[in-house]
Amino acid sequence: MKLKPPITLAWTRFTSCSGCQLMLLNCESSLAELAQVVALREFPLATSTECKDEEIDVGLVEGSITTPSELERLLALRRKVNLLVAVGACALTGGVNSLVRGERRQAMTEVYAGQADEWNTFPPQGIEHFVKVDGQIPGCPPEQGELLNSIGALLHGGWPGHQVMPVCMECRINENPCLLERDCAPCLGPITLAGCNARCPSLGVPCEGCRGVVAEANRDELRRLFITAGLTEQDIRHRLERFGEAP
Amino acid sequence: MTRLVVDPLTRVEGHGRVELLLKEGGLHEVKVRLLESPRLFESLVVGRRYDEVPDLVCRICAICSAAHKLTALQALENLMAIRVPPLAATLRELLLLGGHLQSHALHLFCLILPDLCDTPDLLVLLQRKDPLAEAGIKLKAFGNRLQEVVGGRVVHPVNPVFGGVSYFPCRQDIETLLKELLHWQTCWPDLCTQFLQLGNYPEARPVIGNALATGLQESFALNGESLFYGKEQLISSSGYKELLGERAREDSHAKDSNGQSGPFLTGALARARLAADRKLRFDTPAEAFGIHGNNLAQASEIGWTLQRLGQLLEILLEADPAEPLRKTLKQVNGGVGTAATEAPRGLLIHHYVVDEWGKVVAADIVTPTAINQRVMAAQIMADLADEKDHERLCKGAERIVRAYDPCISCAVHLVRVEHSS
Repeated sequence: MKLKPPITLAWTRFTSCSGCQLMLLNCESSLAELAQVVALREFPLATSTECKDEEIDVGLVEGSITTPSELERLLALRRKVNLLVAVGACALTGGVNSLVRGERRQAMTEVYAGQADEWNTFPPQGIEHFVKVDGQIPGCPPEQGELLNSIGALLHGGWPGHQVMPVCMECRINENPCLLERDCAPCLGPITLAGCNARCPSLGVPCEGCRGVVAEANRDELRRLFITAGLTEQDIRHRLERFGEAP
Repeated sequence: MTRLVVDPLTRVEGHGRVELLLKEGGLHEVKVRLLESPRLFESLVVGRRYDEVPDLVCRICAICSAAHKLTALQALENLMAIRVPPLAATLRELLLLGGHLQSHALHLFCLILPDLCDTPDLLVLLQRKDPLAEAGIKLKAFGNRLQEVVGGRVVHPVNPVFGGVSYFPCRQDIETLLKELLHWQTCWPDLCTQFLQLGNYPEARPVIGNALATGLQESFALNGESLFYGKEQLISSSGYKELLGERAREDSHAKDSNGQSGPFLTGALARARLAADRKLRFDTPAEAFGIHGNNLAQASEIGWTLQRLGQLLEILLEADPAEPLRKTLKQVNGGVGTAATEAPRGLLIHHYVVDEWGKVVAADIVTPTAINQRVMAAQIMADLADEKDHERLCKGAERIVRAYDPCISCAVHLVRVEHSS
């Protein structure tokens, strides 16, 4: 469905660092152009315009869901937007917030003592656990180009093609030396969804997998490589679970 | 009794709320509540390897991700008695200052300027082709580019690693940055004038709170081994717990700082009061602006930052990229480490306890907004004491909170509620 500009857009933020919002706000040179084609109905970091109840073309969601009130807001948003897009690792899989998973009850009690119930939170989860999601923009943080491309594609009634290759391939295209081979570094490039043009490995920094796991990832081979590189089982688990890959 | 609620506070980072209680038409009580969902950062790092901590805690907040990462690294390096090579220290300082530039420009031009122009947001100003808004976001973009060149990524930088940094940026990028820097050094004073007009701000009372900052006389706070407060009082950074006496509040998801010498004020205005080289670079007396003087102080700091960035970029151009960038650790040592940094919004403290195997046992993070939380409510109370109009009360309260440049995501990484028996 081709949308007629200006399309109405609401950016809703749940439990997160605001980084995804900031990445859009950081597209400084495109903001004026963006303002021509997009009518911002909600963007808490940048505007005091309040989102009134109306039909909205696109809802962009940042952050994970951790409280009943967040869940209520998410459900209300789903009802009024035509397309719902999950932006960033937290909205996709829960992100680093969910690392307390499993021990959360204990952590909450330790931290909040008698008030633990009052906070009324549950383990952080991606939004797809609760509502239908029409599009995903991965990353922690997402790439600016990908954010703008996606909004541009929406304007033309489409959605950018789905990425199928791992970061590892982008490293090869860029002719980077392999950090796993050269430095025995715990690089997650072999199993991580491409689209960042191998941003970190190109700088000599091992991939931490912030874009999530690619389809048909060869996890067993990666595990074997990591063990050969000298990582312990626990190190591997911690490395893999950082962005939602359950060990 | 009437209760006015400003929720959510907009054009601030994170989810906050102000509650104003009115009695007989006048302001009776103010509550500033930081309502982010707790993210338990201090407990999620427990049990993990020390070198994983900086990557995780920088995700507390996007705007301050460089400051969080660098402070965590420094606390852990202090803990293991490692000093990073000089070139790595230069690159780190550049990254931190790039963050300051970006954050101050974001606050002044994206969050405050719409108030001064009476518009709901920056986009309206950009559509009007407002020259100040356009220049402001270009300055912000410059801060971002600095962070990207030096840190590898605008948000959640990857270059700083335990013991130093991973790579030396490309020389061509440094030259381009330096060229652009000269442009900003020339036009910076013109960008500030709008923020120096007293008439642009609401009437304000004197600023509440004892100014608090790291030892700024050394370099830019990266070596903040001491804390300054009041006139000339000085303590070691590791003594922060006693000084701040942090305790949790039942009505807010952020810890509250209330030491005996407090309440404290931290941020650009506090730095301007404490550090000789941060004196405001304008003739305008900041006192009349009250807490809105923080905007002046940030504008002034942009000038200081641009100057210091020039020195640092020159150092890089003369440096030998083959110089060591990173020290490796021969053996993991357990212990206790603390570091204090001036983040854009003020004093940031990271404190870790690590065991002999390199696993984190305990973590404590004190953020500027948590420190400022107490004075915020008091300042609203003081500034708006005579205001009766409900709309002006709500707007006024929101503008006061905004003046602190609060970062609520940061403040709410964790709350500890004390057992009240």
